[in-house]
Amino acid sequence: MNTAPATKIAPLTKTGRRAKRLFSRLIVWGFLAMIAIFTVFPVLVTLFGSFKTNAELTTGATILPSVWHFSNYLEAWKQADFAKFTWNSLFISTFTTIGTLLLASMAAYAVDRRNFFGKSFYVSLQAATMFISIGAVVIRPQFELMVKLNLNSSLWGIIFILISAHATTFFILIGFFKGIPRDLDEAAYIDGCNFFSVYWRIILPLLKPGLGVAALFAFRNAWNEYILPLVFTMTNPKLQTLTVGLADLRYGTTAATQTHLIMAGACLSILPILIVYVIANKSFMQVTGGSVKG
Amino acid sequence: MTSLRKLGESYSFIIPSLIFTVVLGIYPILWAIRYMFYSYPGYGEEVFIGFGNFAALMRDEAYWNSVVNTAIYASGKIIITIPLSLVLAVILNKGLKGKNFLRAIYFMPTVLSTAVISIVFFNIFNSYNGIINQFLMKYHIVSKGIDWLGPDMAMFTSIIVAIWGAIGNYMLLFLAGLQSIPDDVYESASLDGANARQKFVYITVPMLGPVLQMIIMLAITISLKGYESIMVLTEGGPIGRTEVMYLYVYRMFFPISSSSTMIQQIGYGSAVGFMSAVIVGLITIGYFWISKRLNRIF
Repeated sequence: MNTAPATKIAPLTKTGRRAKRLFSRLIVWGFLAMIAIFTVFPVLVTLFGSFKTNAELTTGATILPSVWHFSNYLEAWKQADFAKFTWNSLFISTFTTIGTLLLASMAAYAVDRRNFFGKSFYVSLQAATMFISIGAVVIRPQFELMVKLNLNSSLWGIIFILISAHATTFFILIGFFKGIPRDLDEAAYIDGCNFFSVYWRIILPLLKPGLGVAALFAFRNAWNEYILPLVFTMTNPKLQTLTVGLADLRYGTTAATQTHLIMAGACLSILPILIVYVIANKSFMQVTGGSVKG
Repeated sequence: MTSLRKLGESYSFIIPSLIFTVVLGIYPILWAIRYMFYSYPGYGEEVFIGFGNFAALMRDEAYWNSVVNTAIYASGKIIITIPLSLVLAVILNKGLKGKNFLRAIYFMPTVLSTAVISIVFFNIFNSYNGIINQFLMKYHIVSKGIDWLGPDMAMFTSIIVAIWGAIGNYMLLFLAGLQSIPDDVYESASLDGANARQKFVYITVPMLGPVLQMIIMLAITISLKGYESIMVLTEGGPIGRTEVMYLYVYRMFFPISSSSTMIQQIGYGSAVGFMSAVIVGLITIGYFWISKRLNRIF
């Protein structure tokens, strides 16, 4: 009498356990899906919104546009001057990336390969600039300095300030230097190279993977920068970048806010970085342990 | 080859970097420290007033309001982001199908411009025609649109946007920390019959201790300093409800903004900036001290 229910329970607990596991797995997947939707939602709203009409954006509660208006991009590009904004963003990002890589790789080369008086002081100085950031306060003196140098009405002021924040790149590159054996330097010296030509001919080519990752980060930061270009273009709307031009569009020079142009503009500024991210996803994942934003 | 020549070569390679760092990194800080003691509106005369700016600062209710807001903003962001990103990291650390894809999705916000995303969120949360309100009203969840950027909800909305931007980043830092926990610890725990929850509480969290401390410290300093997202989303408004410390500092230096009524005060702004940096520093040191003591107790 007692054995009968016991044998009956056994298969039940087995399926019960399986049901429980399935249930907990469903919860986990539900949780992951929820966060994923939360994360992707604004990007999808932007992407689909960029093809809607302004009226549809302000009245219809749909995600997908009823009719796809590709002309929004053309209008944003021409009418809202996104062609100029894109050029400015590209200009700043390109020169900032080149400058940052050059400065940081030269310094990293000297610090990694040589011992010299004041080396540890220099390294701590770089580390300090990463941590002692009083944010908004330093922008004013940086701006005043650029006024004195007559660089406040060009994009070079912004570029120089962005280049000056190369400490993160420096430390990323120092990490990559560990992978380049010193024997190569010595062999090159024997072949008649000097300190500079070893850097230019041996180190830089071997540092390519590191430079690539660092370039990704420098370019992203410059492309996404908002406050510096905002400050420097307050009196020069012609020098505005995508981020600044877009924010300005929100307050509309015309009476009504043109949300469809904002969405198209947002896509123009987000998509290039998003595409680079999808392609170089692995590099982003690897190095972000060291650089933090958030 | 003389060592002097070697020294010269080494220096020639760090000097470009050093010049940029000193001129655009160190000098601005010294500049701000000097102007803390001056009354200087950005044009005309600079007047030395000693600690006058700090005396005014103590009576500046708008500033202390911004300090309180910063505390609310940072704690709201951290309390939700840290556990959420830790749980995500733990789940995605296992051999889950599609984990790389999910990691990429969660990390994506970190790659995008804070300012641009805040503009998008501004449109999403817009009270009149924002997509959230359109949905809520279409499906009759609410009869009248919620004023997401109004006085009652603006801080909440700002925190949501901040969480959106931060989860993936901390998830990745936690993932890096999790890689350092050896697998055999989990294996032996499984042999002893530990379930997933027990493994998380008794192995993952304690072994992640030092990394967790570091990440929380980073989260605190970053959240206290952040103002770009709020600047674009709400401009500190309405009626100062989302005004944070560094946004207030920014306004003292560049008060040219559509809704701003503040007067440019560079000397005073330097003092406010210094005070804000001190507050961030003290909180960081305080946190460091507490977490060290907790370490000793447990």
